[in-house]
Amino acid sequence: MNIRNSSDLLTAILFLAVGFAALLYGGEHYAVGTPKRMGPGFFPALLSIGLIIVGAILLLQAIFDPDEAVGKVDIRPVLLVLAGTFLFGLLIEPAGLLIAATVLVFATRLADRTFSFVETAILAVALMAVTSGLFWYALGLPLRLLPV
Amino acid sequence: MLFLDDLAFGFSIALQPMNLLYGFIGVVLGTVIGVLPGLGPVATISILLPITFTLEPQQAMIMLAGIYYGAQYGGSTTAILVNLPGESSSVVTAIDGYQMARKGEAGLALATAALASFFAGTVATLIIALAAPALAEVALKFGPADYCSLMVFGLVSAVILAHGSVVKAIGMILIGMLLGTIGIDVNTSVPRFTFGIPQFGDGIDFAVIAMGIFGIGETIANLERGEEQRSLVRAALKLWPSWRDLRTIFWPALRGTILGSALGVLPGGGPVLASFSAYSVEKKLSKHPKRFGHGAIEGVAGPEAANNAAAQTSFIPLLTLGLPSNAVMALMIGALMMHGLHPGPQLMRDKPELFWGLIASMWVGNMMLVVLNLPLVGIWAKLLTVPYRLLYPSILLICCIGVYSINNSALDVVIASAFGLAGYVLYRLRCEPAPLLLGFILGPLVEENMRRALLISHGDAAVFLQRPISATFLVLTLALIVVLAAPAIRIARARAFKES
Repeated sequence: MNIRNSSDLLTAILFLAVGFAALLYGGEHYAVGTPKRMGPGFFPALLSIGLIIVGAILLLQAIFDPDEAVGKVDIRPVLLVLAGTFLFGLLIEPAGLLIAATVLVFATRLADRTFSFVETAILAVALMAVTSGLFWYALGLPLRLLPV
Repeated sequence: MLFLDDLAFGFSIALQPMNLLYGFIGVVLGTVIGVLPGLGPVATISILLPITFTLEPQQAMIMLAGIYYGAQYGGSTTAILVNLPGESSSVVTAIDGYQMARKGEAGLALATAALASFFAGTVATLIIALAAPALAEVALKFGPADYCSLMVFGLVSAVILAHGSVVKAIGMILIGMLLGTIGIDVNTSVPRFTFGIPQFGDGIDFAVIAMGIFGIGETIANLERGEEQRSLVRAALKLWPSWRDLRTIFWPALRGTILGSALGVLPGGGPVLASFSAYSVEKKLSKHPKRFGHGAIEGVAGPEAANNAAAQTSFIPLLTLGLPSNAVMALMIGALMMHGLHPGPQLMRDKPELFWGLIASMWVGNMMLVVLNLPLVGIWAKLLTVPYRLLYPSILLICCIGVYSINNSALDVVIASAFGLAGYVLYRLRCEPAPLLLGFILGPLVEENMRRALLISHGDAAVFLQRPISATFLVLTLALIVVLAAPAIRIARARAFKES
């Protein structure tokens, strides 16, 4: 069993990284104070140290008793789904709901290998109608439909 | 039986046509915003607050209360159908509810949620009518130290939620608590971990994290699996609970109701804490704890009963003491004050029609929810037969609109995308997200109460052991840790012996 790809090891690294990052960043910027008068840094420091301990335990576990491998990552859905939601965030204000929704539907459908242009176009139109009807018209959310 | 007279009086108010109408509007609106991920009762009630000024006080309260418990109800529907907990209290329902849906039991899960909630609502109504003042007094006895210990107990019991590694679950709780510290520190007004971004000052919204991890992250993981092995939900095989199912869910629902009624009275994470602890209790009591996380019906019935009961009893501190136990209750106080009413002990005496009318309306509202939702169960279950390639872009789009509409903030959508990546990474690392969310919700409450308790005791940590309530919870926590650690130690020892 290859330890380098074990999910325990990678999780341990994640926990240790987050723990140390929070501890160092917090230690530098926020006063810890005393238990009587806790500073803003006290509780985060406590949590970071806890996370580092948990990470260390997991590290030992990974070394002595490696678990299943994480396996390969398929980068296509990761990139395209995130691109879709990210672009939605960038476009919703300047371009309005209709354009943002179209971009999201196309990007996220491209993430899947069963993409078909016509089907996606129909889906986009249908979703535009449903979401603008529901969120903009019926619920009256302050959304803009079209670009300014 | 004085309280029966009071209740009868309450029903005579709640059943007046206009009150019924506003209750109905509230319940329907609540269900809609609950089903739609991202939209929540706090935002909806804030938007509607000015409108309620034109209504009679009891109509306003009945409608707002309807939105509150309707939203909780709707939140479980989305949690079961598409594994998207829109409300914090439905995180637990998603664990086993969604697995039931995958097995083709979506209808059964939805019906179970509906019936357990209704049962809990009925019992909680009676509890409020009978014991509201007494329960409020108990809640007053809870000092910061007691509250802190209760939260710690809740967090430790959250470890039971995980069906994978206990160590990873603890780590996830801690990461969630760290995420909870983001924002302006209440005690010192120092912005923590905001990295100079002003929008981070209020902290990150629960829905942004939940939508990112469950909505976006899970979709990526599903797509990666390829068409053949996708966690496709099977077409509904079973819509209605059989007599055997009803017998199975009765005790979990009853235990959930009791737990929920008790925890709902406490300020803060009432419904959330209630649903998590109900799940832990059911998993611990079950003869087959391995079934939990793979579609155990008790894992839906217990938490659903608990969060609904807690949602009802969280009105107790508001109505009897004038203390809001969560953001929705604070808005309710606002609604009452707009009418020149000050919630508190005198409310029950001066405005009995409001007090008893509202309590009776909760039961009427719960009745409406069941009547409204049971026929919908079949339709909801049909929704799952939509092919995944059409369903997931729709889910992502609705998530993004929901996240955007929380604060009309495009940055929130970008943050949710980042949590989507985090959710995917955690999924691949086999770290379960539910403990992270519980840590995120309870973390700030632990910190606040710990600091307050230590401030009062002049930094002496012994206060946590000197107060009887606090000490009880700490002992329970310790016992829980022993119970949790025992199997792990046994396995480790067995292995060590084998190797030597």
